[in-house]
Amino acid sequence: MNKTLRLIRTMLKMQYSLAGKSSGEKIGYVLLAIFLIPFSGIIISVLNAIVETLYDQLAPTGNENALLGLLFVGMTIVLLFVSLSSVLSSFYFAEDIEGFIPYPFHPYQLLAGKAAAPFINLYVTSGVLMVPILTLYGIHSGAGFTYYIFALLLFLVFPVIPFTMMAILLMFFMRFANIAKNKDRTKVFAGLLTFVFIIGFNVIIRLNQNPEQTAEGAAQLIEQQNGLLNVITGMIPTAYFSTMALQNAKGLNGLFFLMLMLAISAGAIFLFLTAGQKFYFKGVLGLTAGSTKKFDSGKVAKKIKSQPVFLALLLKELRIIFRTPTFFMQIVVQSLFGPVFLIVILVFESSSGSIGALGSMLEQFDGKAPLLLLFIFTLFILGVNPASYSSISRDGRSWPANLYLPVSAKTVIFSKVMTAWLINLLSIILLAVVGLTVVPMPPALFTAWIALTFLASWFTSLVGTALDLNDPKLNWTDEQEVFKSRFISLIALLIEMGTFGCIVLLLWNIDSLQSLWMTSLLLALLLGLAIVISHIVLQKLIRTKFLKTR
Amino acid sequence: MITIKNVTKEYAGKTAVKNLDLVVPDGKIFGFLGPNGAGKSTTIKMITGILPIDDGIITVNGYDIASQPIEAKKIFGYVPDSPDIFLRLKGIEYLNFIGDIFDIPKDTREEKIEDLTKSFGIYEALDDHIQTYSHGMRQKIVVSGVLLHDPDVWILDEPLSGLDPKSSYTLKEMMREHAAKGNTVFFSTHVLEVVEQLCDEVAIINKGKLQFRGNMKEMKEQFEADETLEKVFLELTSNE
Ligand SMILES: Nc1ncnc2c1ncn2[C@@H]1O[C@H](COP(=O)(O)OP(=O)(O)OP(=O)(O)O)[C@@H](O)[C@H]1O
Ligand SMILES: [Mg+2]
Repeated sequence: MNKTLRLIRTMLKMQYSLAGKSSGEKIGYVLLAIFLIPFSGIIISVLNAIVETLYDQLAPTGNENALLGLLFVGMTIVLLFVSLSSVLSSFYFAEDIEGFIPYPFHPYQLLAGKAAAPFINLYVTSGVLMVPILTLYGIHSGAGFTYYIFALLLFLVFPVIPFTMMAILLMFFMRFANIAKNKDRTKVFAGLLTFVFIIGFNVIIRLNQNPEQTAEGAAQLIEQQNGLLNVITGMIPTAYFSTMALQNAKGLNGLFFLMLMLAISAGAIFLFLTAGQKFYFKGVLGLTAGSTKKFDSGKVAKKIKSQPVFLALLLKELRIIFRTPTFFMQIVVQSLFGPVFLIVILVFESSSGSIGALGSMLEQFDGKAPLLLLFIFTLFILGVNPASYSSISRDGRSWPANLYLPVSAKTVIFSKVMTAWLINLLSIILLAVVGLTVVPMPPALFTAWIALTFLASWFTSLVGTALDLNDPKLNWTDEQEVFKSRFISLIALLIEMGTFGCIVLLLWNIDSLQSLWMTSLLLALLLGLAIVISHIVLQKLIRTKFLKTR
Repeated sequence: MITIKNVTKEYAGKTAVKNLDLVVPDGKIFGFLGPNGAGKSTTIKMITGILPIDDGIITVNGYDIASQPIEAKKIFGYVPDSPDIFLRLKGIEYLNFIGDIFDIPKDTREEKIEDLTKSFGIYEALDDHIQTYSHGMRQKIVVSGVLLHDPDVWILDEPLSGLDPKSSYTLKEMMREHAAKGNTVFFSTHVLEVVEQLCDEVAIINKGKLQFRGNMKEMKEQFEADETLEKVFLELTSNE
């Protein structure tokens, strides 16, 4: 036990230590904390309004606990997703495990150490939503002291089940991924498969609910106490148990459900460690090995072609992104999450006909409003562009090659901006497909929107690359570190959304500006200006930082 | 020819190289020796433009690395001390990349890649990711990259450390040929036998300062003639 704790501490220290961070980064943390104070105030007041309204509406029929049920169900789904990406990266993509294997540790001990970092992610995630909502619910329902104790305990154990379920599922898939020949590709694939598995699972649940029936049933369900809760938590028993525990926090009944939750969680941990002891090494050992094949005589000629330097650099960047599992997950898959999610939701909703209505609604409004909304929404999706803010850091120890090879700094940097833009193109194409098929958008609006999106994408690519060049992280031993505990993504988003949020708000409120074309033209001009400014800043950074970067 | 004039480099308060003056002439194999942490890699990184120079001037065939970097970089080829770069590229992709950067015509590229990788015995692994290469194989692919663009000046940081005897022999032969054609070969090493059989001239650096520069004969003459190179080296670098 002692050794396991030591191991956990060491592993955490290696990932989260502030030592060796530049002072710029430390200042960044402080600034971020300051930024977050007003932000969290807004969030809490919004949450408060939601909890209050729902509580007041549900309480008369004795269905207020559906609110808790909804929270726990929602949290389960969110935690499953967070677990997926953090387990995958911590257990399988992070190659630091090789450093520990030669020491006499049991698989379950290493697994416990590796689970620590994902757990921190999970607690941060659930802390953001669960803590304020549970507290607000407690206040509105006038709950007693035991409620808060129960809530705290539930907060602590609740992430255990989604995490262990996801981890066991992944360990199982990975055990087979490890047999494959091209392991880099297969481990990404296994991750995606698990993702599809969860989505599919949700789809099946949704499809089994006949919408008319549920609408009709809901009216009846509300009549009876707990009726709504039973439906909401139907598929996720732990959400039901947690709700019941909190609901009855005063009585023995509540204690029973709390104990049940604790017991299930303990059982899940046991199951996780047992499964880990059995499967983990089979999945992870040798997973970093690549495939090799023999290069036959005379093949050289076929593999060689001359390209301009810029294209050679661009291809190199794309190859590295698509071949490195961590980069692929964090950059390509992550940036597609938003659009894919949108499509899944839209496809669902379109069966109920509400999307068609949205399309005709857009048609009616054919002024500036839909364009401005679409624009800011797309900017948000493109702003979350890890390809841009990992531009420099991705190179890691290969970075010096940019310094000793005879290529100008400008060519190197702009090949990276171009890479980020191209990766964004994937999201744009997906969004465009949605705009053309699922939501039938008016052609004028569609054209204006797509044109602006191309410009916006260049802008976010420039901003991200400039920020990374300003303070890159090159000394990583594991690709995860390029993305972990760096606030660069938030800063990028703040810059982009800050400027264009204000601009959109301004345009929205200028009454004399109504036409779609004028608005697009104005936005295009402003984007052009933003691009010119970012170019100048980036050029300056190239002059001052490029050679000093290492 | 490489000229290093009064060059100084500090790392966060610690001086790694101090007032170094060194000229690496054409047509000779020049060895750069010194104990661990002496400042060899630091010097080489300044020559190649990886580290900015705090003070002093470095030129490669007359081009100042600080003010005419691209021109200078076209002239030299560099083998870094750690060959762990571009691991996610395939060997052939790496060589092709170098070919694009240095504008090497397609048919020259084809011919040279085949010749070089066959003589180093990594031809069959060309279609694999560099990640799957052994340490020595990685070194060979980097060396092949340098030889592919055939620069006048070779700058090699411990190029022989991971190579097997045959490849080591091949590379040494190549270094001799290159110098014999009147070019510059500058390399760092710890292996004194290599120095003895290969180098025309040597420089010994310790704690960032030049301790000795001259040819092998001068070096032995400075001490009693019967001393081994090992003893000479130990003596030169032992003074605190
Ligand atoms: N990135 C760095 N940051 C701080 N100090 C460094 C850094 N790199 C090297 N040094 C210091 O500079 C000095 C010279 O190091 P250098 O790498 O040039 O030695 P070397 O002669 O190449 O040694 P070796 O034979 O071990 O390769 C050492 O004292 C080392 O501690
Ligand atoms: Mg060295």
